[in-house]
Amino acid sequence: MARETAVSLENVRKTYRIGEPVHALDGVSLAVSRGSYTAIMGPSGSGKSTLMNLVGCLDTPTAGEVVVGGRPVGELGDRERTRLRGTEVGFVFQTFNLMPRLNALENVALPQLFQGIDRAERRERARDLLERVGLGDRADHLPNELSGGQRQRVALARALVNDPAIVLADEPSGNLDTDTEADILDLFDEFHAAGTTMLVVTHERHVADRADRIVHLLDGNIERIEDLERGDESESAVDPGRGTETTSDADADAETGSPTGRREADSE
Amino acid sequence: MNPLESLRLSWRSIRGHKLRSALTTLGIVIGIAAVIAFVTLGASLQAGIIGDISPDDRRNVYGWAADPDTEGGPLAGAQPVFTPDDLESVAAQPDVAAAYGYATIQTQAISNGNETVAQGNGLIATGPSYIREGRLAEGRQFERGEREAVVNPAAANQFEENVTLGDELTVTILGGERTTLEVVGITDTSEGQSPFEGFESSPRIYVPTDPYYAEQAAGLGIGGGSDGSDGGNDTGAGGENGTGIGDARFLAIIIEADSAAQSDIDAARESAIAYLESDRSDASELLGDDLEVTFQTSTELLQQLQDVLALLRNFIVGIAAISLLVGSIGIANIMLVSVTERTREIGIMKAVGAQNRDVLGLFLTEAVILGVIGAILGTGLGLLGGYLGAQYIDLPLVYPLEYVALAIGVGILVGILAGLYPAWRAARTDPIDALRYE
Repeated sequence: MARETAVSLENVRKTYRIGEPVHALDGVSLAVSRGSYTAIMGPSGSGKSTLMNLVGCLDTPTAGEVVVGGRPVGELGDRERTRLRGTEVGFVFQTFNLMPRLNALENVALPQLFQGIDRAERRERARDLLERVGLGDRADHLPNELSGGQRQRVALARALVNDPAIVLADEPSGNLDTDTEADILDLFDEFHAAGTTMLVVTHERHVADRADRIVHLLDGNIERIEDLERGDESESAVDPGRGTETTSDADADAETGSPTGRREADSE
Repeated sequence: MNPLESLRLSWRSIRGHKLRSALTTLGIVIGIAAVIAFVTLGASLQAGIIGDISPDDRRNVYGWAADPDTEGGPLAGAQPVFTPDDLESVAAQPDVAAAYGYATIQTQAISNGNETVAQGNGLIATGPSYIREGRLAEGRQFERGEREAVVNPAAANQFEENVTLGDELTVTILGGERTTLEVVGITDTSEGQSPFEGFESSPRIYVPTDPYYAEQAAGLGIGGGSDGSDGGNDTGAGGENGTGIGDARFLAIIIEADSAAQSDIDAARESAIAYLESDRSDASELLGDDLEVTFQTSTELLQQLQDVLALLRNFIVGIAAISLLVGSIGIANIMLVSVTERTREIGIMKAVGAQNRDVLGLFLTEAVILGVIGAILGTGLGLLGGYLGAQYIDLPLVYPLEYVALAIGVGILVGILAGLYPAWRAARTDPIDALRYE
């Protein structure tokens, strides 16, 4: 792929020392190009959250290099890392994580507040984004006056407000019912189609199927990478014995999915 | 983040917890209100007292003879030792411009025509210049040896028909004898004219020592010789050379220095003491080893009272300061709770790019807002309290503005100090943990 890289991980290791050292990530290399849509799957404890934290500039790697928006996260001080997080990363959380006392508009504008952007400009940008996620008429509602799906739309608008290099979504539909989930994922597709780089962590196959490719994590390693767009699959194979299920329910979602030739592949 | 934005955001979270914020602020309100109210009252009290020292009183030095170990204000433990001769001689000393005696005459009642009012400490016998020209609203000073009096407005107005110049009053002395006096002057205020009287407002009648004190001294046997009292009745001539009141002895003596300058006052004081303690004076016979003559100016006399007031004020301000401390602990406590409670919000803010200093600023701003609101409300309440207090005790209201400024400063400081640790805790919250926090 000749496309520019939004985020890259180079042999990243993250070790937590709680008594015995635990390798949450054990030498992971991954490149996310601009405009791509990547899903990360894996059982709990596989290192998904750690990967998210690293890509989201919330944490620094123990070894290896994480590059976000062209800057090495591990070499940055806290202040620089925070700035990078504010401008280059947009978060979408399972629990929405909106500020409870700020209305939808203010929540969307919040990241720009910390970038010192002028109030009027902020509000204009936020209003624009709220329109785009279909909540133009809910700008002055507080989060608790919004439904789960609406809150996640606000969160998505907030994630996009600084025009980040990448949007990180952590189980974005985990708290939503099926219909609302489809709406949100459609919205993801829409923004992706418009050029936003998406990185979605999920344990649900049908959510992951919206992506161009799925990175399977297991025990801190990339087990394999499924490329849904082009149909081929590159393995970073750790445990060939563990295959993947899937296929059937993934096909059911095909109407919304990526274009042609989607093919599910088994490792066997 | 720009400070205005922090202010807006902090104000939002304060309003989000109205009751809690109000209760938190209450501690500061009470502390600052207490400090300001008491300081205002103290300053008003002080002004009420000091305001009474008129510029022309500043060259007066008040003297009495007492055991040097006696503690207390003017005249404490004073013994009547000064004879009229002493007064004359002191007046003749270098650096002493004038000298006259001072004594109070116990009375039972005072009558104006048919109307009689009870009055205990009504007559103040002293020299004519005791009532300075500047303090007369009407009329003139009484003259030595005449049955004349200057009354203050409180004394003049205590009769249904106000006393006016030229009226004749009948005074019943403690012993039961009656005497008359003609009102020749009315003072401008009812407050005391010197520290000997105290400064509170009360009805007072000022009369010449001769003849009134002479008669009194004779009647009560003060200072010996009773023959002098008759002489007093002979008016004029007797009074002028002092023989008229015989050897009535005065409790107190007032001397005037050439000017209010400290050097002149010291000179007058030294020269008067030198004479009174020498064998030439009549007073020295009675002074013996036990008594010592003390001369003090109004300012010096008031200093003592002011010291006591200052002590009392510091004491109360100390208590109020403790209440402020409690208030600030309240703010710190609430802020800590608030930080814990909003851990997730802090995580969100950090995830979307809030710097540590932004978070620190937000929480600090919140604490300072609470402190400032507390200070402002407390100041208002304190000023009102001081006003009502001063009104109630009838004092001239003086707002010590530097203390008001100080109180607001303290409010801000308390907010900062109380908010610093919680805000620091908030700022160093790890966003990863915070986002996971339920």
